[in-house]
Amino acid sequence: MNGYDYLIPKSFTEVWDLNKKFPGAGYIAGGTDLMVRIKQREIRPRALISLRSIPELSGIDIGDTIRLGAMTTITDLIQHPELGRILPVLIQAAKRLGGTQIRNVATLGGNLCNCSPCADTALPLLVLEARVVLKGPEGAREVPLSDFFVSPGESCLLPGEILTDILLDRPSVDTRSVFMKKGRVRMDLAIASFALLVEIKSSGPGCSKVRIAAGSVAPVPLRLKEVEQLLENTGISEEIFLNAQKMAEGIVSPITDIRSTEDYRRRIVGVYLKRALRKLIYTNGEWHKEK
Amino acid sequence: MRKEIHFILNGSAVSVLVEAHKRLIDILRDPLGHKGTKEGCGEGECGACTVIVDGRAVNSCLYPAFEIEGKNVTTIEGLLGSGNRLSVIQQAFVEKGGIQCGFCTPGMILSAKALLDTNPDPGEEEIRNALVGNLCRCTGYVQIIESVKEAAEKGKEIK
Repeated sequence: MNGYDYLIPKSFTEVWDLNKKFPGAGYIAGGTDLMVRIKQREIRPRALISLRSIPELSGIDIGDTIRLGAMTTITDLIQHPELGRILPVLIQAAKRLGGTQIRNVATLGGNLCNCSPCADTALPLLVLEARVVLKGPEGAREVPLSDFFVSPGESCLLPGEILTDILLDRPSVDTRSVFMKKGRVRMDLAIASFALLVEIKSSGPGCSKVRIAAGSVAPVPLRLKEVEQLLENTGISEEIFLNAQKMAEGIVSPITDIRSTEDYRRRIVGVYLKRALRKLIYTNGEWHKEK
Repeated sequence: MRKEIHFILNGSAVSVLVEAHKRLIDILRDPLGHKGTKEGCGEGECGACTVIVDGRAVNSCLYPAFEIEGKNVTTIEGLLGSGNRLSVIQQAFVEKGGIQCGFCTPGMILSAKALLDTNPDPGEEEIRNALVGNLCRCTGYVQIIESVKEAAEKGKEIK
């Protein structure tokens, strides 16, 4: 294996200095994907700058706005005493990411910055309309997560920029959400994955807000905005669900690869949408009888 | 680039001169001679290289050696009691047939230990979930799950 330098800065100032001293150096978070890509010689870094020892990148703050530090591990998310109640869809997805040993080291920021179309935590964060804070030597900017992903492996991060925080508005109490994932075995990458968030109308059958995201079915984790519009502020019926299902299957653009086929992935998204709608909407009192 | 790394290995302070690109498994096996930690896939899929770092099971094949500075590491060698007496978990794997070729065993046992240290009375689903990152190609997992259940039972008796 080719050697590389491994640098552990303790502040952002040190990071910006190291970037000048080691041109072309890459960042490493938990390393659970990066170390594999180095082993497989997909990448041959000359230097890695570790983000593990920068205190500002860790921590979880809960208020009207929720802040998740980018270096929060997946296990830290799962074990947090409040997040399971406030952001159940994120915790459901976190529990399906990798195996125990991966979750203990992998970070939320790393999962996003890999920009994999199958990133498990991306879908709940998309339906929760998360923003990410990107910090460079000249300052920080805030970007909606839906604009962060550009193509497989590529984000809108500029050279040297670091994803420092994930920001979310606290969901209202009428919010219901669910994450679904199809893998061959438990710790697989997703063949296809899906997240749905709805806000139920207080006045009668229907949703005042619908947010849908799907994974492994497009070059980036995808929001299905057209389907959201179809379902928002309309009635609730099996016919509407079926239309939404067909529309979702038409919008996604999956590929056939070693894990699955284009056709199967398309169908999973449609079926998951229908199942998720039924699960979140029909289990509530009188609408339940409509089934 | 090299530097001296200091950490706690199975309760004892150790120092090793390490090259920057080495992984935790590289320093455990070679300079430190802890060959109980196995490298299977080297890509975080099989869990044979599992060790416990600050109370959590990790794949030592994905863990940059420089990051272990100041941390507390437990390998399979750290489970032996005085006079080379097997630990409760190891004994349970022997008695319940949780071992066949043995290559996955150290990783399995450390994943089980990380679970039992925080959850001494896990249900079957919790055991399966804790071991999902450990592959075994011989026994078919049933005996392994039974071994962890047995270890939990025996652990209660000891306490």
